[in-house]
Amino acid sequence: MAEFSWAPRSSLEKALVAGAHGARGIEAGVSLTEIRNFDLIQVMARRGKGAELAKATKARFGVVPPDAPKAVQTPDATLIWSGPDQFFVLSKGGKHTMLTLAPALSGPASLSDQSHARVLISISGAKARTTLAKLSSIDLYAGAFPIGAAAATSMDHTSVTLWRGGDRPDELAVFNLLVFATFAESLWHTMLDAAAEFSVDISHSEELA
Amino acid sequence: MRIVCPFCGERELGEFTYLGDAKPMRPVAGASEDEVFDYVYLRDNVAGETSEYWYHGGGCRAWLKVTRNTLTHEISSVEAAAGAGAAKVGA
Ligand SMILES: [Zn+2]
Repeated sequence: MAEFSWAPRSSLEKALVAGAHGARGIEAGVSLTEIRNFDLIQVMARRGKGAELAKATKARFGVVPPDAPKAVQTPDATLIWSGPDQFFVLSKGGKHTMLTLAPALSGPASLSDQSHARVLISISGAKARTTLAKLSSIDLYAGAFPIGAAAATSMDHTSVTLWRGGDRPDELAVFNLLVFATFAESLWHTMLDAAAEFSVDISHSEELA
Repeated sequence: MRIVCPFCGERELGEFTYLGDAKPMRPVAGASEDEVFDYVYLRDNVAGETSEYWYHGGGCRAWLKVTRNTLTHEISSVEAAAGAGAAKVGA
């Protein structure tokens, strides 16, 4: 019998080449970081169970889930709005997996593991907004899209979940983006093209921004 | 054209897909052949205000009911279609 290896790999394993990309001789205006090995659970309220799910989520995380396009930060997870009565639970290190979340939330909600179905990309730097403005019609100006703002939207005809995380230590904004794994490589190349003129610093990380 | 999704806010047309007239109601079981024919095939070609189903597939994936004027493209109302945000039904 054939033997299989099921070692999980990122969809950007080949496309992502760490280091400098694009314009030379200037300071990198955009940092593109793929965040790997996260746990991502989609939670969707069952019919008529929206209020009950909010209660169960509060009991588990200490906060109610976002009921508008927002991302809510808890000490060890981010709850990201993904549509009416549904949200993602993003975390690291096996703290909130199907195994641990299902007993708490599966009464009022359907849960679905998306950990290997999405790619998580973090975009920051002085030219991050200018880069994203080429790809997105969302107003990402600081006043219109503050920390914790989120959007279910499209970039380059590809559905993405976009939200603003906490600022970098140098106070520049950080935009996080979840994209379907099979579309990730296409969007990655589009983002590299959009950012090339500003010089890009490419990396991957195991840490959530 | 832009549509103000009640869940997401104002978005460009490219995020939405048009389904069609929101007016026809599925006939009750046992309805006459004429009524079913009407429901399946016949549409009014309205010059003025119409009610339409749009799908926010490039966003929150909710179905919306949009009131739009076919002469001016002015959108006077957008609401969640029945079933969108189903978790609030009966809550
Ligand atoms: Zn929407």
